[in-house]
Amino acid sequence: MKVGIPKGLMYCRYHPFLVTFFSELGARIIVSEDTNKNIFDTGIKTCVDDACLPVKVFHGHVDSIKDKCDVLVIPRIMQLQKNEYICPKFCGLPEMVLNSLDDLPAAITEPIYATSWKNLYSWAKTAGKFLGKSNNQIKRAFISALNEQKKHKTGIADTGYEINIALTGHPYNIYDSFLNMNLVKKINSLGMGIMTAEFTEEGILYQEAENLYKRPFWTFVRENYGFALNGAKGKKTDGIIYVSSFNCGTDSVIIELIKNSLPDFPFLILKLDEHTGEAGINTRLEAFRDMLERRLFSDSHISTLG
Amino acid sequence: MYYMGVDLGSVSTDIALIDKNHDLVEKIYLRTRGNPIKAIQEGFKILKNKYDDSDISAAGTTGSGRIIASAIIGADAVKNEITAHAMAALEIDKDVKTIIEIGGQDSKIIILNNGIVRDFAMNTVCAAGTGSFLDRQAERLDIPIEEFGDYALKADTSVRIAGRCAVFAESDMIHKQQLGYGKAEIIRGLCDALVRNFLNNVGKGKTILPKVLFQGGVAANKGMKAAFENELGFEVFVPENYSMMGAIGAAIIAGDQVKKTGRTKFRGFKLADNNIFSRSFDCDGCPNRCEVVKIYENDAIIGYFGDRCTRWTGKTGGFLRLHSG
Repeated sequence: MKVGIPKGLMYCRYHPFLVTFFSELGARIIVSEDTNKNIFDTGIKTCVDDACLPVKVFHGHVDSIKDKCDVLVIPRIMQLQKNEYICPKFCGLPEMVLNSLDDLPAAITEPIYATSWKNLYSWAKTAGKFLGKSNNQIKRAFISALNEQKKHKTGIADTGYEINIALTGHPYNIYDSFLNMNLVKKINSLGMGIMTAEFTEEGILYQEAENLYKRPFWTFVRENYGFALNGAKGKKTDGIIYVSSFNCGTDSVIIELIKNSLPDFPFLILKLDEHTGEAGINTRLEAFRDMLERRLFSDSHISTLG
Repeated sequence: MYYMGVDLGSVSTDIALIDKNHDLVEKIYLRTRGNPIKAIQEGFKILKNKYDDSDISAAGTTGSGRIIASAIIGADAVKNEITAHAMAALEIDKDVKTIIEIGGQDSKIIILNNGIVRDFAMNTVCAAGTGSFLDRQAERLDIPIEEFGDYALKADTSVRIAGRCAVFAESDMIHKQQLGYGKAEIIRGLCDALVRNFLNNVGKGKTILPKVLFQGGVAANKGMKAAFENELGFEVFVPENYSMMGAIGAAIIAGDQVKKTGRTKFRGFKLADNNIFSRSFDCDGCPNRCEVVKIYENDAIIGYFGDRCTRWTGKTGGFLRLHSG
C-alpha cells in the first residue's frame, strides 16, 4: 500500500507524526518534492481562484503524487488547541482538492482535532481502519508517531547577528523557500538573524494574548500575536517581519493587532502571491535592514522609539 | 570629480551627476520603455560627449532595475529606493518628517525623525495610483501627461471616483464620462481618489507630520500635490529635482562607499557604443528551474542574475555561443 502525503501547508510542522504513523502501519510513504516551479504552476492552474497561495500550492503537491500512490492523506485540521480553531480553509481543504483535481486515488479526509490524546486518536483509528489495520496495530503506530512528533523541533533561533528579527507568519509561508523566494536565506544574507515562534514557550504566547480584549478565535492569531509581542519585549529582537500570503483572512486580523499593540516597533509586512519577480521583496528587506541599522547604530544617544 | 547615480525604474531611467558638495550638475531623464539596457546606453551617449570616464569618481544604482544597472555600469553601491530617496531628501532638509514618493509602479511613504528613517511602507500587490496608471488614463483621455495636473486645477468641483483598484477606477471614470462630466472634474476626482487610496493604503496607521516632501515622477502632477495638501491640511513640498531624488540618493551613497574602498568600479562611458544585450535561459540545475538572465557586452558575459541559489550570480566571463539560447 502506497500512502501519498503532500508536502504542503502544515506538513512542515507535522510531518514526523504523519510519516511515522503511516509507515508504522506498513505503508510505503510517497511524499511530494519540495515546492518547485511545476508544483507551483499546477497548483495555481487547478485550484479555485479565491484561495490563498499556500492552498493553491498544496493542490500542486497533491497533483504531483496522485498517480504514484493508492491512498492520499489530506489533513483536515480543525483544531490544534481547545477553544481555538485553525484557518477555515483547512476545514474545506479536502473538498477543494477533490473537486478541483481529476483522477485522484482514495483519500483520507477525516477531520483532525488535535486537542487531546483521545481526540487525535479517533482520527488515527479512522485512518488506520481505512488501510485495514487492527486496533492494536493502530495504537502502536499512533504512539510511536506521537513520540516522533515530540522529538521533532522546528524553528529558527539564529545567534551571532548584530541585528535580529522576529520572523512571524504561518509556518508554511516561513518554511517553503520556493513560495517565499528564499526569504530565510535572504534575511540572513542581509546580516540579520532570525527567531521564529517555535522557540517561545506556549505559555508565554498565551500570556501575551491575554491582554487582547477577547480570546483569539484562531490558533494562528494567538501564536503570531503572542510571539511578535514577546519578541519586541526587552530588545529580544530589533524588528518584526511578517510574511503573509495575499488574501489571508486571519493575517489581516493579526497584522492589525500587532500594529496596534506595537505602534513604534519596526514592523515589515511582506505579501506573497503568484509573482516570482524578486525585486519587490528585495527592496523591502534591504530598506528594512538599512532602517534597523540606522536606528540601532547611529543614534545611541537618542531613544530608539518614536 | 562627480558622483553618478542611476535610478532604473519601471517607467523612467534617471541619471544624476552630483559634485562633492552633493549639488546636482547634470540630470538626464529617459523613458525606460521596457528596455533598461537601451535606456542606460542612451543616457551614456549624451554624457560621454560632455564628460570623461575619469570625471566619475563613484557610481551607484537604485530602482527596481538596480541589479541589471549595476552589472552594466559597474556600480560601487547598489541601494534600494527607500534608502536612496531618504538620503536625497535629507540632503535638502535635515528636518523632513515625511517623504511621499510615487513612481511608475511603486508608491512609498517614509517616516523620518531626527534624520533617521523610522518607518516606511510600500504599496502591496496593487499599483493603482502610481505613475503608469496615470499615464494610461492620460492617454485614454487624450491629454498629454504633462498637462494632466493643470487640468485638475482648473476644476471647481471633483467627481467621486473609486480609488481602491486601478480597474475599478478606470471603469468608474468611464461611467462618469458617459454621464457627461467634464474632463477637468474627472481628473480632479481621480487625483482625489488616488490620494485617498495612498493615505488609506500605503499610509495606513502612519502619522504624517510636516515637513512633507513629495518626490518621484508623479510629483510633477500639480493636481496630486493639491489633493495631498487638501487632504492633509498643510503644505506639501515638491523638491526642485523631484524626479531625480532616487538617482541623487544613489550617487550620494556611492560617493560614501568609494570614500571607504578608495576606487570606483565604474566601467566607463564606452558601453554606450558597445553591443549590450541579455539572454535568459531556464537553469536545469534543480527543479526550481529559475529563469536566469545573462548580460553580454559584445560577446563577453558581464553578469548573471535571476537564480535563486546564486549558482550563477556574481559569475562573469564566458562567451556567447552562436545558435544557443
